[in-house]
Amino acid sequence: MDVDYDTLQALRKTHPAWKLLVADHSPLIAAFLQHTFIVPNQRRLSRADLASALEDLLFTLRETQGKDAFPRSAQAYLDDWAGEDKGWLRKFYPQGSDEVHYDLMPAAEKALSWLESLIQRPFVGTESRLMTIFDLLRQMVEGTEKDVQVRIQELEKRKAAVENELALVRSGRVDILDDTAVRDRFLQVSQTARELLGDFREVEYNFRRLDRKIREQITLWEGSKAQLLADFFGERDMIAESDQGKSFTAFWDLLMSPARQEELTGMLEKVFDLAAVKALSPDRRLKRVHYDWLSAGEHTQRTVAKLSGQLRRYLDDQAFLENKRIMQVIQQIEARAVKLRDQMPQGSIMEMDEASPDIHLPMERPLYKIPVKPRITDTVTLGDGSDIPADMLHDIVFVDRLTLKQRIRTALQTRDQVTLAQILFDHPLEKGLAELVTYLTLAAEDDNAWFDDTLTHRAVWTDAGGIRRQATFNAVIFSR
Amino acid sequence: MDITQPYPSDISRPLVALMKGVVFRDNDPALWHLLEESQMAVRDYVRVMGLDLMLDTAEGYAWLATREPEQGEDPLPRLVGRRQLSYPVSLIIALLRKKMAEQDAAGEDPRLILSVEEITDMVRVFLPASGNEAKMMDRINTHLNKIADLGFIRRLKGEKDKIEVIRILKAFVDAQWLSELEDRLKEYQAHLEDGNDSGSADVSHTDPSGGSDMDGNIDSTPTGDRGGG
Repeated sequence: MDVDYDTLQALRKTHPAWKLLVADHSPLIAAFLQHTFIVPNQRRLSRADLASALEDLLFTLRETQGKDAFPRSAQAYLDDWAGEDKGWLRKFYPQGSDEVHYDLMPAAEKALSWLESLIQRPFVGTESRLMTIFDLLRQMVEGTEKDVQVRIQELEKRKAAVENELALVRSGRVDILDDTAVRDRFLQVSQTARELLGDFREVEYNFRRLDRKIREQITLWEGSKAQLLADFFGERDMIAESDQGKSFTAFWDLLMSPARQEELTGMLEKVFDLAAVKALSPDRRLKRVHYDWLSAGEHTQRTVAKLSGQLRRYLDDQAFLENKRIMQVIQQIEARAVKLRDQMPQGSIMEMDEASPDIHLPMERPLYKIPVKPRITDTVTLGDGSDIPADMLHDIVFVDRLTLKQRIRTALQTRDQVTLAQILFDHPLEKGLAELVTYLTLAAEDDNAWFDDTLTHRAVWTDAGGIRRQATFNAVIFSR
Repeated sequence: MDITQPYPSDISRPLVALMKGVVFRDNDPALWHLLEESQMAVRDYVRVMGLDLMLDTAEGYAWLATREPEQGEDPLPRLVGRRQLSYPVSLIIALLRKKMAEQDAAGEDPRLILSVEEITDMVRVFLPASGNEAKMMDRINTHLNKIADLGFIRRLKGEKDKIEVIRILKAFVDAQWLSELEDRLKEYQAHLEDGNDSGSADVSHTDPSGGSDMDGNIDSTPTGDRGGG
């Protein structure tokens, strides 16, 4: 596509990355997404976690920007950002979880990395880039050379160059990269390393798109299945065989080799110890960037495996034909159902096998048991051997509800309303807490009494041990 | 001591699990592994009881179904019950199956999650027009509960309005089941038209031949009653 007016106009309207850049709250969105997904290299976050992180950010922003700066709730913003018309977040239910999770969409990541490039660039290393281009060109030229003679010539040339260098070193002349050259290369490495991390999202997205495209073609396919397969990449795995798939597999094999891992670790250690690099005060996380690659790559790897498996299953003869047949039959059913809507069949119309045998386990149900009445045969005696007087049991707490009721009624004879506090003032608690609870129970049962939870009252009494106690309760008003 | 056991003992756990319901790989990977390892023995064992082990390694679920009698074999009494389904429940099941086929064609996530509202919108066209939205939602929720009983859908924890359609629906609602539903509807429709031609108002009761035809279809399975009871 040309970068002309119409294309750009369309992109501005439809591309999520551009939409993010021109969004009203783009600094908020970009800052938030950067710190939740990119910085910690996070691939999935639950709705609750993401919303609470956003709520925190909104809270601090509102303190400096004014209360009305961001009027909506975190959840509402997330819904908006994951919506069809925005497309900055991918919303999905991971296997085994009932909570919505989010991942960043590659387009949003693109906008973020562009924004990032506006900020941090101590200097632009051009030398290392030129070297990289030379190197890539050489790989292509040599790698595609089929003529053995030419290839041998090339290798001889390189051998001569290496021997030349060896001779120089042996004679004590060692070329050392100067600080600028080191910094140039380091910045290049750091940028590429981070870009690679960002690429994984896009790689995964490409796989999903590829999967969707293949399925779409399968669904619309009219010919035979053999022909369908011939039209694609043959019998092999369609996703793994795509350019994207092959490049990713090669990357993964390279990264997974233990020797490479060790080499990477060792080299990163050494590079971080160089004075020129230290002077740049580099991000320490770069030192373990290969672990981040591993985890991001693994994520992509799993996605590819899952997609391939699903696609193979979908292409499976039976499922392929069955799905077509199913869509046809359901269309017929729908057509009939519309006609039947005012005269729907009554009773059962279809039947369905259960998914397991009909087993009842009578022994798993509790059987009837005769209730056991405890008969206490032990006798308890006081220290002197005499029987315990039964009165003692009743003595502990006995509140006479009738007396309390009588008090309330008497109080109401002279006025329309009386509070419990007033009653307690006239009749101080004698039985302590039990008596107070009884009053409250009476109030709860009384339709003409109500609790006022805006007001609290306090009751004070002295217990049997001579200790003063007090209780606070919501005001109770009895009325006639 | 060498006591020859007719069956390996490690089939017990998967067998018991199968007798109680569907075994899903995702719910218990260890049990699933055991089942896959011992599937031949399990298959032989349940065969004796007139059952067939259905195991889908790709989708990751397994269950026991009534074995089809072989040629010249008398069918055994069924161990697996059958459920009678009303028209709306059958229709919703068919529509959910369609959603699943569409989702597979689109290459989205394998998990199909719908809200009750989406399902209501999907079913609305096929139900008699009703001014009472709340009542319609209620009724659809009742139907959905029946479908949940069958094990085809479940409500998400924490989000009661969201429903996951469980992929085992694919195994039970196949093209054959759907064409049967289509046939029944076709019969019913023809029967309605017959009734209308003869000027009869209450078709299902005044037209004995048509009525018995439909009932006959439903009751023709010997265990039609067993399942209900």
